[in-house]
Amino acid sequence: MTRWLPRVYLVLVYLMLYVPIGVLVVFSFNDSRSGYTWGGLSLRWYQSLFHNNAMVEAMWNSLWLALSAATVSTIIGALTALALHRYRFRAKKVLNGMLFVVMMSPEIVLAISLLALFLLVGIQLGYLSLLLAHVTFCLPFVVITVMARLSGFDESLPEAARDLGASDFTMTRTVLIPVIMPALLAGWLLGFTLSLDDVVVSTFVSGPSYEILPLRIYSMVRVGLKPEVNALGTLLLVFSLVMLMLSQWILIRSKR
Amino acid sequence: MKKLALAGLLAVGLTGCSSEEPKVLNLYNWSEYMPQEVLTRFEEETGIQVVYTTYDSNEAMYAKLKLLDDSAAYDLAVPSTYYVSKMRQEGLLMPIDRSKIEGFDNLDPELVNLDIDPDNKFSIPYLWGTTGLAVDTADIEGEPVTAWEDLWDERFEGRVMLTNDMREVFHVGLRVLGYSGNSTNPEQIEEAYQKLTELMPSVRTFNSDAPRVPYLEGETDVGMIWNGEAVMAEETMPSLEYVYPDEGIIAWLDSFVIPKNAKNPEAAHQFISFVLRPEISALISEEIGYATPNLPAREMLPDEVANNRASYPTAEDMTNAEFQVDIGDEALQVYAKYWEMLKSGR
Amino acid sequence: MPSVTRQPFRTAVLVLVWGWLLFLVLAPNLLVVGASVMTRDPGTFIALPLNLDAYRQLFDPLYLEVFLHSLYMAAMTTLVCLLVGYPFAWALSKLGKQRQLLLIFLLIVPFWTNSLVRTYALKMLLATNGLINSALMSLGWIDEPIQMLYTEGAVIIGLVYLLLPFMILPLYSVFDDLRQELLMASHDLGAGRLATFIHVIVPLTLPGVLAGVMLVLLPAMGLFFVPDILGGSRNLLVGNVIKNQFLDARNWPFGAAASIVLTITMAILMLAHRLSKQRLGEGGAG
Repeated sequence: MTRWLPRVYLVLVYLMLYVPIGVLVVFSFNDSRSGYTWGGLSLRWYQSLFHNNAMVEAMWNSLWLALSAATVSTIIGALTALALHRYRFRAKKVLNGMLFVVMMSPEIVLAISLLALFLLVGIQLGYLSLLLAHVTFCLPFVVITVMARLSGFDESLPEAARDLGASDFTMTRTVLIPVIMPALLAGWLLGFTLSLDDVVVSTFVSGPSYEILPLRIYSMVRVGLKPEVNALGTLLLVFSLVMLMLSQWILIRSKR
Repeated sequence: MKKLALAGLLAVGLTGCSSEEPKVLNLYNWSEYMPQEVLTRFEEETGIQVVYTTYDSNEAMYAKLKLLDDSAAYDLAVPSTYYVSKMRQEGLLMPIDRSKIEGFDNLDPELVNLDIDPDNKFSIPYLWGTTGLAVDTADIEGEPVTAWEDLWDERFEGRVMLTNDMREVFHVGLRVLGYSGNSTNPEQIEEAYQKLTELMPSVRTFNSDAPRVPYLEGETDVGMIWNGEAVMAEETMPSLEYVYPDEGIIAWLDSFVIPKNAKNPEAAHQFISFVLRPEISALISEEIGYATPNLPAREMLPDEVANNRASYPTAEDMTNAEFQVDIGDEALQVYAKYWEMLKSGR
Repeated sequence: MPSVTRQPFRTAVLVLVWGWLLFLVLAPNLLVVGASVMTRDPGTFIALPLNLDAYRQLFDPLYLEVFLHSLYMAAMTTLVCLLVGYPFAWALSKLGKQRQLLLIFLLIVPFWTNSLVRTYALKMLLATNGLINSALMSLGWIDEPIQMLYTEGAVIIGLVYLLLPFMILPLYSVFDDLRQELLMASHDLGAGRLATFIHVIVPLTLPGVLAGVMLVLLPAMGLFFVPDILGGSRNLLVGNVIKNQFLDARNWPFGAAASIVLTITMAILMLAHRLSKQRLGEGGAG
C-alpha cells in the first residue's frame, strides 16, 4: 500500500496540471463554435487565426521582442555574472541584492515603477519601453544560470590565460565564453519564454504602436470564449515545448 | 463622389510626402465596436493601416490617453457623451477640421450641436445606444421582468450581471430611487450606493468587455446589457430578450474625437469621413446592432434591422429615457469612491 | 586612475551593469516611494504637497477589507499549494533518479506555457456549461450545474494551478538534499515515523517551505488577470487594486502606497527565509 499510494498521488497531481491543457488542445481542433460541445474535427480556428492580420502582426512583434529581450539580457546577464564571479569590487553584495530583489518582487511592483520611470524620463511607451522592461525582469534569471555554471569551474584556466599575457577581454572571449556557452543558451531560452509569456509588466509599459501577443490574447480572453484562443494556445504550447526540450538537451549535452 | 475622391487625394498628397513609413491610424475604441470589414475596406481604399486597440470603460480610455499624452499614441478615440465634454474642457482634444469631413450633413440634427460639444467643434457622433435589461426568458420563472427594480428580486440571487461601468450602474441605482441618473447630489449618490449594496449578493459578475457573454455562457440570467450586444446575441440565443425598464432606459452617444497630440490627424479625418458614408454607417449598424445617427444610412438598412426595437427604440420605449451628461469632476470623485466600495464590498 | 587604463573591459562591464540596475531598478523604485507620499492630481497624476494620505487611505476600513480579502485568497492559495506540493515533492524524491528528472521536466512544461492561455483553459472547465459540470451531470452525480466560475474558489483554483510548480520546485530540492542517513539515525534512536517527521523532516525542509511560500504568496497577490478572467471582476487581488489606481482611477499615490505594502511583505518573507536558513546552519554546526 505504501508503495503505490505515493505514485497514485503523483499521477493525480499531474492529471490536474495537464487536463486543462489537454482540453485546450483537443478543442482547438473542434469544428463547433462552442467551447463545450464537440462538433467534429477541423482546422478552421487555425485558419482564422492566420487570417487575422492584427493577430499575425502581434505575433511577429512578440517574437521580435522576445528575441531581442532574450539576447540583450543574456549579454548583460552574462557580463554581470562574470563580474560577480571574477572581480572584487565594493558593493558586490548590493548588486547581488538588487538582482535578488528584481527576481523576488511581484511583477506588478516592477511594472508600475517602470511606468513611472518611463513617464518621467519621457520614454515613449512602445518597443523600447517593452524591451527595457523585459530585459530587466529576465536579467536575474540569466545571471543565476550563468553563475551556477561558473561556480563549478576550474579557476586555473583563466589564470593560465592571464599568465600567458591575454588581456581580460581576450581571456573572457577565448576561455570563459566557451565554458559558459550552455548556460548562456539556457538563460537565453528562459528569457525568451519569460518575455513571450509576460502579461503583467507589458500591460503597463506598452503602447498601441507595438501590440504584442499576450495583450492581444488578454483582450480576446476577456471578451469571452474564443476558439481561436485554443488554436493559438496549442501553437504556443508546441513552440515552448520545442524550446524547453532544446534547452534541456543543451544542458544535458554540456554536462557530458 | 468626385469631391470625395479629390479630398481623399488631397489628404493623401498633403500627408504622403511628410513621412515615408506606411501610414498608420491608431484607433482606440470599445471592444467589439467596429466590424472588421469596415477596417479592411478602409485599409484597401486608402492604404492606411488601422491599428485597433480596445478599452472597456471611459475611465480606462481617459487614463490611458492621459498616460500616453506625450507619446501621441492614439489618433482617434470614441468616448461616450459625458467624457466628450470633460476631455474638451480639459483641452485634451484637437479641433476637428470640418472642411476635411465629408458627410457631416448626414447626421441626425437631433444628435449634433449638443451641450456636450456646441457646434461639434471637437467630436463627430459615431453611434448611439441604450443600456437596458437583458432577460433570459428560458431560465426565468414567475413574473416577467419589466423594471430595474426587479433585479433586486430574491429569485435572481447569484444570477445578475451588471456592466463594469460606474456611471451606468449608479444610473440604475438612482433611477430605482426615483432620482436622475445624472445626479450630482452626494446624498442621492450615497443613497444609490446603499441601494446597490443590497443588490450585490445577487451580482455574479461585472462585464463591459462583452456584456452578452455571461448570458450566453449561462452564468447569468438577468441584468444589464447594451442594446447592440443584445442584438448580437439574438442569433445564438433567441431566449435572451432586451427589455426597456419602466424606470427608463439609459441612453448614450459615442463620438469620434482626435486627441490633441495625434500623430496622424489627417488619417483620423479620413476615417471619420469614411464612417460617415451612408453605406458604411449602415453596415456598422447592421453588424453590431447599435443605432446609427446617420439618416441616409438608416434608410438603407434592411427592414428587420430598422424595425428591430432593440436597435431602434420607438418613442414609447424612450419614455423616461435619460441621456448621460457630464457631471463634473467633483461629482465624479464621489461616484468613484462609492464605485470602488461597491465593487470591493463583500 | 590606473585601474581604468589597465582594465578597460572590467570598467566597461561594471559601468554597464551598475548603470542598468541603478537606472531601471533603483531609480524606478525610489520614484514609487516618492509617488506614494505625494498628492493625487487629476492633471499631472501626482503633485505636491507631500503627505501620508495614501497610507492613511490604505488603512481605511474599506481598503483594509480588500487587502485582507486578497491576503486571505493568497494565503489560501499558498496553503493549498503547500498541502498538495509537500507530499508531492516527498513522493517525487523517493523515485529513481532518471524518473525524477523526467517528472521534473513534466512539471516545468506547463510553466513554460502561456499563463493566460492556461487560465482560459480553466475557464472552459469551470463554466456553468463547462466540461466539469457536463461530465458530472451526465454521470448523474448532480442535477443542476454547480456555479464555479466567477467565485472566490475559482480565483484560488486558478492561482494554485498557475503557481503550484513554484511551491514544488524548492520543496523538491530540500527533499532531494535530505540525507537518508539522518532519517535512519532518527529511526535507530527509536523515533517513530511521526516523531521523525516532526523533529527531523519538518525542520530540515523548512527553508524549502519558506522559499515556496515566498514564491507563491507574492505572485498570488499580484496576478490581476486571474480574478479578471475567473473571478468576474469581483474577488479582487491587491494587484487589481494597484492596476485600477494606475490605469483607471488615476490615483497614483494610493497605487504606489499599495505596491510598497507588497514590497514590505516581500521583505519580511525574505528575512524569515534567511533566518530559517541561518538557524539551520548553526544547528548543523553545533
